Amino acid sequence: MSAMNLKAISQAYQQSVPNRTRRTIRKTLVASVFVLPGMVVFFVFLLLPMIESAQFGFYKWDGLGPLEDYRGLDNYKKAFDHDVFQTAIINSFRIMGLSLIIQLPVAMLLALMVGRGNLPGRRVFRLLLFLPYVFSEVITALIWRYVMHPTDGLLNWFLGHSVPGYDNVGWLAEKDVVIYSVFIVLTWKYFGFYMILYMAGLQGVPKDLEDAARVDGANIVQVLSRITLPMMGSTVRLTVFLSVLGAFQQFVLVWVLTGGGPVNASQIMGTYIYKFGIKSFNLGYGAAVALILFSITLVFSIGYQRMILHQDFASDVSL
Amino acid sequence: MKVLRSLLILALLLGAIGGLATTSAQDQVTITWWHITTAEDQAALWQQLADEYMAANPNVTVEITILENEAFKERLVTVMQAGDPPDVFQSWGGGVLWKYADAGLVRNIAPELEGEWRDTFSAQGALEMFGKNGEYYGVPWDWGAVGIWYNKDLFAAAGLDPENPPTTWTDFLAAVQALKDSGVTPIAIGQGDKWPGHFWYVYLAVRLGGEKAFVDAYNRDGAFTDDPFVEAGAKLQELTALEPFAEGFLGRNYGDSQTQMVNQEAAMELMGQWAPGAYAGTDAELAAQLNLGLMPFPMIEGGAGNPTDAFGGGNGFAVGANAEDEVVDFLRYITSAEAQSLIAPVFGAVPTVAAAESAITDPNLQLIMKLRNEAPYAQMYYDQFLPPAVATAVLDAVDGLFAGTLSPEDAAAMIEDAAMFELE
Amino acid sequence: MQTSESFSFKRMSNGQRFFTLLKYAVLIFLVMMIIGPIIMVVLAGMRTNGEFQSRPFDIPRGEIQWGNFTGILESDTFWVAARNSFYITAAVTIINLSLASMLAFAFSRLTFFGKGIIFNILSFGLLFPTVVAILPIFLQIRDLGLINNLWGVIFPMVAFGLPGSVIILRSFFIAIPNELEDASYIDGCSTFGFFRFILMPISRPALMAVATLNVVGAWNEYFLPLLILNDPNKWPLPLGIMQFQGQYGTDWARVMAYVGILMVPAIIFYLFTERFIVTGLTGGELKG
Repeated sequence: MSAMNLKAISQAYQQSVPNRTRRTIRKTLVASVFVLPGMVVFFVFLLLPMIESAQFGFYKWDGLGPLEDYRGLDNYKKAFDHDVFQTAIINSFRIMGLSLIIQLPVAMLLALMVGRGNLPGRRVFRLLLFLPYVFSEVITALIWRYVMHPTDGLLNWFLGHSVPGYDNVGWLAEKDVVIYSVFIVLTWKYFGFYMILYMAGLQGVPKDLEDAARVDGANIVQVLSRITLPMMGSTVRLTVFLSVLGAFQQFVLVWVLTGGGPVNASQIMGTYIYKFGIKSFNLGYGAAVALILFSITLVFSIGYQRMILHQDFASDVSL
Repeated sequence: MKVLRSLLILALLLGAIGGLATTSAQDQVTITWWHITTAEDQAALWQQLADEYMAANPNVTVEITILENEAFKERLVTVMQAGDPPDVFQSWGGGVLWKYADAGLVRNIAPELEGEWRDTFSAQGALEMFGKNGEYYGVPWDWGAVGIWYNKDLFAAAGLDPENPPTTWTDFLAAVQALKDSGVTPIAIGQGDKWPGHFWYVYLAVRLGGEKAFVDAYNRDGAFTDDPFVEAGAKLQELTALEPFAEGFLGRNYGDSQTQMVNQEAAMELMGQWAPGAYAGTDAELAAQLNLGLMPFPMIEGGAGNPTDAFGGGNGFAVGANAEDEVVDFLRYITSAEAQSLIAPVFGAVPTVAAAESAITDPNLQLIMKLRNEAPYAQMYYDQFLPPAVATAVLDAVDGLFAGTLSPEDAAAMIEDAAMFELE
Repeated sequence: MQTSESFSFKRMSNGQRFFTLLKYAVLIFLVMMIIGPIIMVVLAGMRTNGEFQSRPFDIPRGEIQWGNFTGILESDTFWVAARNSFYITAAVTIINLSLASMLAFAFSRLTFFGKGIIFNILSFGLLFPTVVAILPIFLQIRDLGLINNLWGVIFPMVAFGLPGSVIILRSFFIAIPNELEDASYIDGCSTFGFFRFILMPISRPALMAVATLNVVGAWNEYFLPLLILNDPNKWPLPLGIMQFQGQYGTDWARVMAYVGILMVPAIIFYLFTERFIVTGLTGGELKG
């Protein structure tokens, strides 16, 4: 659809409809030019399949043959009774919490240090810090299996040579340690993602404002907390949102790294769905757990948008 | 206009010729073949067999798709769910194949198989993994048995007789202790991958309960909480109590255990017929220096199983539901004695047809073939044989036994829970 | 360069000097943690598989195995796959960025009926695990006749990436002062004119950041091409790793060499976009 066509259409409307309605219609038409192409692609290739698969959750279905063995809420009951499911939920919340209190602040700190300013070598640092994000999740996991190797791994070698009296840790072998190892790898891979967003967000903070504050005698901490961070508010709120949702959707990296083991100690929602739903030929069960996951994140998403993101865009978010 | 019309006529003519061409070529058959052999020389052999077949049958085109093991499984499951199976594809037989059969996604080749073709197979037990209720959906081309591969030099260094390895569980545990005392890791295992540990559990269950225990549990005349299965867990924990594995074995994968064997850091590995090939793949030079022996899994005193019962599995090809007759003929060609004799040395495979068995010269592989052919009961891998959801439970239960987080009773109950739900 | 004042260690006060040294200490420590595994990858590619297996992190003690790298670079299939990867990555990035910026503009700057609901529906894409929806997605692509077609990979990838891109871009578009928009409308700009000639150029840092994230994602995508593309001549680079992975073992040295080669184009692209991300036009740092 071209803008020309739209003008013609809207002109045709102008003759027949009262003024206010006309303006609304015109606005909607203009908006639809921007909204439709993207939403069509999204609808056809993602939303529709998602809705279709959501209904599997009420059936016992192995993915083969017709969908006919309707079981109501059985799959949901089974999930809440399964202790590994509980582990998976708790672990997902753990990853989420750790991401918020460690991953994001580290990314922010680095963005502030090298994202601007005049520190010599900042370009080199920026590149090196961004490198991990370039690897795919599968590759990241394969690399870290060797970094965290119980006896010959880089991590134990490094700690053994720098920490006196260090005893090798089975990073991926000990069930009380493994979820933190998973978090280390996730942080390694993803902080570059947030750093790049913070770097882009930093560009919206006027340097003269900070300089003026410095001239007025504010110290670096005051400038940061009173000017820089508040001005990056929308970026920070955005990254918190993405980080929480990202934590719940994690899957490939953890699956390749640990397979959820040992003894399901590093199971998170994504790997749980894959192992007990897809790989076990229980597509119905997998879909049910996916819907539970969807509900958890939906509650968060709506609440966060209403209460927090709200301030970024006045009244335009509502269900 | 004139030009346009003549062009139109020309187009029609061409269309007619094209139509003719397609009618005359209707006997053309395209076979889509998915295999998971990524090694260059081995993949080249499959290609060579396909080329030879195409040369002999000009109406057939074989299109090969090579996928890596995990990628293959992910993709196959999706095309199966979508109802588009390939014509010939890698299969390990057992529960997954039967699931496809129940959904009508594989072709029953019993009419072609029964009789002359069937009689060529020496691995009759293996054939049964590719069919049920008188129907067959594929054939095995490599089938072996799992045994304990051991390093003779390390055995000798620990004061054990390398030519007479232990045959009973008690002697075996004593040998583990002796190896441990000599300063090597007695057993290499990559439990991070989960399936290596289940080999131990299943072999113990086979020795303790034999055919009857498993068949009963499977048919629901018994249960996976029956004595032999609980006892298998207890015996396994007798072994783990000796701490015979390398540090962090719960997080190591199969690649690590190969490395330990090749580097002579570990003395034994419970593994299938592919083990020597895998060692060579890790480091050909070091693998060549290995003085490798193979012992059958030790007998447990008082166990109900036959000491020569064998546990194992292998590789086969299954036939998709939409496959033409030519596909079955092609499969027959792959399992012909000539083709099998070519395959065995290149793949380090154990041939499934009697006429190709002479291609095996390695004494260890000969022993495997003997174990396989003479076993009164052949137990297939649980994680292939059982429905996938039960397989998941078995792997998790065994993982818990290795980690010491599950008692033998709890582990058995965990498997039984899943079996109750899935087996009818 | 955007340096507004030149760096001089001499002119600093003691406090500033300490602060600068602290910065370097933190940076160097973190960089060491971060590049350790990457150095391992590069070194692994220079050794044999056996050497890597027995000592995953080690310098090449024997002969350096350049063959691991040259063998890959000399194969025809590598370059065919590289071309496919390039097409897929370029198409996904361009289409995603175009559609996402239009959507983000509508959600941040326009008022229209159903805006809140449509935005929430779009965000569902971040809430539901796609691994469960793989079968319906596959069927959809098949019904559209896009199996074994690069577009069958490109469109789903665009769809997967849209929610994230839109949410990121929207938050940046919102941060742009309203006065700018009002002024442009007073100057006679249309909605389209404002979008194309004011908003797009001014949002270059955010657009380039999103482009970088898209490029990395598309360049590494493994699962969709595996499902959709039958013909090995259409496979992108990540599927090439399969040739080194066997049922019973993996040639890690070659895999690592392959991974090392694979990361180079993504790094080059990042170096290209980085200057736009960091030298934003909104920050008033227009020098250089």
